[in-house]
Amino acid sequence: MNRAGVTLLQEDGMERVERLSQAYSQAPWRKQMQILGLFLLMVVLIALVASIYLNVTGRAGALGRDIQKKQAEMLDDEQRISDMKSKLGILYSAGEMERRARALGFQSIDPEDTMYLAAPGYVERQPVNLAPVYQPQIISAPVLPPQYTESLFVWLQKQFNQVLFPLFKVQP
Amino acid sequence: MKPENSWRYLLVGSLLLVLPVLILFQLIRLQTNPQQIKEFKAQGKSLTEINTELVPPRGSIYDRWGNLLAGNQIVYEVAVELPQVKNPTAIALATNLVLGADYSRMLGIASTPPSVNVIHLTLAKNVTQDQVNKLQAMQNEFNQKYGNLKRGAPSLDGLVFVPYLSRIYPEKSLASPIIGFVNATGQGFYGVEEKYNDWLAGKTKTFLWSNDPVEAQRLPDMPEGASLVLTIDQSIQASMEELIDQEVQHTGSKSGVIVVLDPKTGEVMALATTTRMDLNQFWRAGDIYPSGTPFDPAVSETYEPGSVYKVLTMAAALDSGAVTPDTKFLDRGFIEIGGTIIHNWDGGAWGPQDMQGCLQHSLNVCLAWIAKRMGTSTFYSYMQRFGIGHVSGIDLAGEAAGRLKLPGDSDWYEADLGTNAFGQGVSATPLQMAAAVSAVANGGKMMSPHIVRSIISKGYQKDIEPQVLSAPISAETAHTLTEMLARSLETESSDALVPGYRVAGKTGTAEIPTPFGYTSDQTNASFVGWGPVDDPRFVVYIWLEKPQASVWGSIVAAPVFREAVERLVTLLNIPPDNIRHSLLGQ
Repeated sequence: MNRAGVTLLQEDGMERVERLSQAYSQAPWRKQMQILGLFLLMVVLIALVASIYLNVTGRAGALGRDIQKKQAEMLDDEQRISDMKSKLGILYSAGEMERRARALGFQSIDPEDTMYLAAPGYVERQPVNLAPVYQPQIISAPVLPPQYTESLFVWLQKQFNQVLFPLFKVQP
Repeated sequence: MKPENSWRYLLVGSLLLVLPVLILFQLIRLQTNPQQIKEFKAQGKSLTEINTELVPPRGSIYDRWGNLLAGNQIVYEVAVELPQVKNPTAIALATNLVLGADYSRMLGIASTPPSVNVIHLTLAKNVTQDQVNKLQAMQNEFNQKYGNLKRGAPSLDGLVFVPYLSRIYPEKSLASPIIGFVNATGQGFYGVEEKYNDWLAGKTKTFLWSNDPVEAQRLPDMPEGASLVLTIDQSIQASMEELIDQEVQHTGSKSGVIVVLDPKTGEVMALATTTRMDLNQFWRAGDIYPSGTPFDPAVSETYEPGSVYKVLTMAAALDSGAVTPDTKFLDRGFIEIGGTIIHNWDGGAWGPQDMQGCLQHSLNVCLAWIAKRMGTSTFYSYMQRFGIGHVSGIDLAGEAAGRLKLPGDSDWYEADLGTNAFGQGVSATPLQMAAAVSAVANGGKMMSPHIVRSIISKGYQKDIEPQVLSAPISAETAHTLTEMLARSLETESSDALVPGYRVAGKTGTAEIPTPFGYTSDQTNASFVGWGPVDDPRFVVYIWLEKPQASVWGSIVAAPVFREAVERLVTLLNIPPDNIRHSLLGQ
């Protein structure tokens, strides 16, 4: 084959490669669409992550605000309970009770006017208990089964002894 | 794209690229520089985290039946938020009108220009709900009328009301010497408020409070201060206070004290004094109790008790075997001890007496003779066992110890043995005397006097168990002496006798020592007694200071004892002896 023949063959090969690559290459508009699609996908993904983050953070914030509000309400309630207890204390104070009793027509009793009767089962008035009586708690130490504390070697030794011991055990 | 415009596109594109890169670079730089990280974190925390101090509500105080004696009420701090203040003059006028606050001071505070460090300033504290309601009504009215008008129109904007808890005493002056009070800073003074201040106040906690709701944190556990249940009975206390006020006025006394103890437990049921104060007005304490005036004379004021002390001398003599009830004594009207001549209260000689007669006629000569017969060491040993010269340990602030001079002390003389025997030259508080004599009422055992019955802390109630302080005499001696004293009252038809109830007791009339010796025109009149004799439920100690109606305890103090017992048996539901015996027999 002469030199001209070689050149022709080379040109023919190049054309084939070009045609082949042209056949398999994408159109420019398609490439642009792909880039745009990828970009939009990223934007959507970022938006998705951001929206999830915002949603979670928003809900955490709202719950946190609720907690703070409840805590403030709790402190307010504690104050109001104390205040109302004191108002009740004023209503039950000795001077106030005496004033109301006298207004209702009661009067102080003299010892000679008092009548005492035997009342079976009567229990004398006991001083007030405003809370459960304190009793020291005896906290028993948790008893762990030996499996949790013994080493593997000790366990194997035990198993071994359990098998062998009856053989060597001297019966009385 | 035209070629001549390409450089413009390039420039805009470069700028758009460079700016984000710069921002990114700055972000990285800021977030990787340790010094700036520290600084920014501190700045962020200062804006979102507040160092908050949580003060627990102060514990309440109750009587033995659960009636509230000291609690907490909501009061307000009236303040100004300076950046929101529109009209300082209106604020000053309103607070002056409603709170009675000084106008120029209010104007000065409300006119303070706001700054980074000064935003919130207090105008007044301890403001009541009614006063706040009035100010809020004015605030709303101004807003409705002048809300849209320009600056300078009447406005209470910027005026804020911060609620907080403050101490309140629903019973006002009842049992005030026992309870004490809390001042504006929350510090307890006198009584149980001072003695148990740390318990009642609880523990203040400081923590960082985040404004950021995402970082909402659990409030630290903040149990309120411990509450106290006292041994006193509201009704008995009120009744005894009424009685002592009435009797001090009736007898023209300078002051008076009534102590009511349960001899079996040492519980103080009532401790009434004439000088009391409305504890809600703690700022008046200085006027009501001028310097040197004890807040609670029952535990803080010592005096020479006089003849009521003879109960202790006779108890010691009987218990040590120095005398028996039948021991005879010939009263010649005087006795010499340590170079001092001792006479009887009337200066007379009462002739042959047994020990009951000595007590019945309250013979100083006889009791001095008994002390001499006992001997110095025996007498003082018994007095110490009765707790004389020592604090009783009652859980109230400011207890005084009194004075019992002992052999060996630089100011003790042999003559003191004779005078101490009838309560002269020795000092004690009314509570000490009541506690000492309660040993005789309680079969020889002296219980530790106490005022707190239970402590409620962290949701549990812990009862304070009665404790034996000492056992100075035997049960037999106590019984014998009780019988002698009961018979003494019955034989002399004392004014202390209570119809239907057998009681034992002893009067006391003590001259008051002055720098010039003992005065005879002014005395301390006392009476100590207990009952019912076969099952003592109370010991009552009466002290009237410098009575004008009569100097004698038998005339002024004994009837007070009778009246006190008549009230006590009704309030404690104690039937007359015959009915009680018949009910017990059923």
